[in-house]
Amino acid sequence: MAETETTDIRTLLGGGAGEDRLAVSHFVVGAVFLILGSLLSVLSLVALRFGDLIPVSFGRVEPMANLSLVIGFGVISLVGGVYYVLPRLTGARLSSTGLARLGLLGMAGIVTAGVVAIGFGFGSGRQPFGLPWWLDIPMLGTLSIPALTALRTIAVRTEPRSYVTVWFVIAGTVWMPLLFLANLVGHLPLLEAVQVAYVDMFVSGGMVTMVLLTLGTGLLYYAVVKELDAPLASRQLALVGLWSLGFASVWWGLAQLTFGPGPDWISGVVAALGLALPVAALANAANVSLTLEGSWGDLGTNHGVRAGVIGLYLAAIVAALAAVAGFRSAAAVTALTSFWEGIEIAWMAGVGALLVAATSLSALPRLVGREIHSGDRVRSFVRYTLVGSVGTLVTLATAGAVTGYSWTAGSNSAAYADFGEGWGAGVGATADTLLLLGALFAIVTLLGHLAYASVVLGTITSGKATTQELLVSKGVDDE
Amino acid sequence: MSDLVSAAAAALGIPESLTQRSAEARAAETGASLDEILSAWAGGAPPPATTQEPSPAATAPEEDEAAADPEPVTTAPVIDIPVPDTPQPEAPIPVGRYKPPVLVGVKDNPVGVLVGAIGLFAVIALIGLVGPASLADEPGARTSAISYSETALEGRDIYLSLGCAACHTQMVRPVVADVGLGDVTLNDSNQVLGTRRFGPDLANVGARLTSGQLEAIVGGLGTHPAHSLSPQDLSALVEYLSRSQSDGN
Repeated sequence: MAETETTDIRTLLGGGAGEDRLAVSHFVVGAVFLILGSLLSVLSLVALRFGDLIPVSFGRVEPMANLSLVIGFGVISLVGGVYYVLPRLTGARLSSTGLARLGLLGMAGIVTAGVVAIGFGFGSGRQPFGLPWWLDIPMLGTLSIPALTALRTIAVRTEPRSYVTVWFVIAGTVWMPLLFLANLVGHLPLLEAVQVAYVDMFVSGGMVTMVLLTLGTGLLYYAVVKELDAPLASRQLALVGLWSLGFASVWWGLAQLTFGPGPDWISGVVAALGLALPVAALANAANVSLTLEGSWGDLGTNHGVRAGVIGLYLAAIVAALAAVAGFRSAAAVTALTSFWEGIEIAWMAGVGALLVAATSLSALPRLVGREIHSGDRVRSFVRYTLVGSVGTLVTLATAGAVTGYSWTAGSNSAAYADFGEGWGAGVGATADTLLLLGALFAIVTLLGHLAYASVVLGTITSGKATTQELLVSKGVDDE
Repeated sequence: MSDLVSAAAAALGIPESLTQRSAEARAAETGASLDEILSAWAGGAPPPATTQEPSPAATAPEEDEAAADPEPVTTAPVIDIPVPDTPQPEAPIPVGRYKPPVLVGVKDNPVGVLVGAIGLFAVIALIGLVGPASLADEPGARTSAISYSETALEGRDIYLSLGCAACHTQMVRPVVADVGLGDVTLNDSNQVLGTRRFGPDLANVGARLTSGQLEAIVGGLGTHPAHSLSPQDLSALVEYLSRSQSDGN
């Protein structure tokens, strides 16, 4: 079958049921924000190394990148995945495609407005997104829509049995607005600086574990089983993975404030509960590995699943690093350094991108009736994303360790006045070089993300025709 | 041809473009001609779009159940939602073709998961947010709160909007690394703590640098990024930074 070009927007989105077209829209919008976020991530690292090279400072570019990567790409794409799997797992049509469409427009619009606002100096300066309160409030509203849609759909399900993905979807979509509600509390003027710092770390940690990892892993469980036609190895391990993610939730982020002005007992809680993060990652990785028993060879042709499995293993490594850094002895060196910047970039640009791809690349052929545009490009996406994000993680984490040891030795602690209050006073030449390497690896990641976006767009516009999975119901108007 | 497509699309209840594409795919897959496929569909054949052939183990009993139960015509998607605990088929399973049903779920109540998720979040918020916030100040103890002027508070807003806290802390910790940075920051601090120290800590910068030095650095002295601020904003920011020093309380 020859490749066919199509330009009609409705046909581009697959021409299927309303929720299926909506899911495709989410994937496309997410891919666009991935490019923006990845580009901003590169700029932020360049700004970190060469403070005067680009007109916008690291302090502004970093939250712009976080916003684009986490919400613009991660959340929007994963919500698309939720809308894809829910009708298939519940036997019920999506409760309101109109509301869900509004949610997509809202999220995309607010992320765009947020990036512009922060760039022009209207940001709040808070981690991780830096949105001003007048954008945080509507963002809370739009992030509530996926939860409403999912819960209302599940409420009218005709399939009485829940596959594990449904549990992850319930938890992930509900935690998302709750986290943003907590984020809004940080804007209250009555809060002290310490409390605001804890809220920020709470939201930063939670957005990764309670949203990106929870939804990404849950959807991966669907993709693996569906694509390989192999039953899930263990429902119990999936449960361990889900609730461990909940318990791990915010603690790995709070480790950055160890020795800070918060109570001492928090650091003990952080170290203990932070261990839930590698437990969750390992439980999910083990479960998927067991499910793949006898089907490993099929990963060569299942591009999406392969990306997801690699993402899950990468998650286990990053989770272990984050958990180790939660202990006081390690935090004495790593806290406040680029070590945590490396961890965050690995979560967002590496693990997040690979997990999202597991869903989108598995779903797109079924949704639009077109084969994945280019297998080679998918391989490039996985390769570059993995090499780039791991490279950034290693270089920034090492730079952080070098800096931290330097501080601990006292070489920088009292020497700011001697150095001059300038950029880079807190790091030495070695750390500077490592930060430069980190920026170069971020460019490699960007190349991988460009490959992903071209695969998504190429698949819906010019992929070879294949069988399509349709949601049909007589008498129901998809419009 | 277009009549056939229209007829097939009408029979299947799906858009013509989809029907056309699905028929092309099916024709390529089976070797039959496009007209044959479309004619069959126009005559009421089942939709072409299912992606997985149900396993022999699952189909026979389900078809029987479907025949007896006319229920969900309005909501059933054309996909395979497997039913667990399927009774063993009476017919022998072809050797090498049997696969257990996938996407198997258990009968449960999603409300339990919902309550669990919200409850867990509440517990975490209690420990991670309310806990650190409920610190009681000891009367007479040293404070690290700084009495900012109105101008300095405006400068604090500029400090935030510029994203200074992404690179600078205002948090002196009781660790070797922070020796010499000033008094340890306490839990009543009203400074912007920050979580990265790519640049120097600024908790006590007002005691180390003059206003002129601070203005020069904000303007881009050395390797610090240059910020183009109005004279009024620059003055407010410098006022805020200058006030950032221990009050000696």
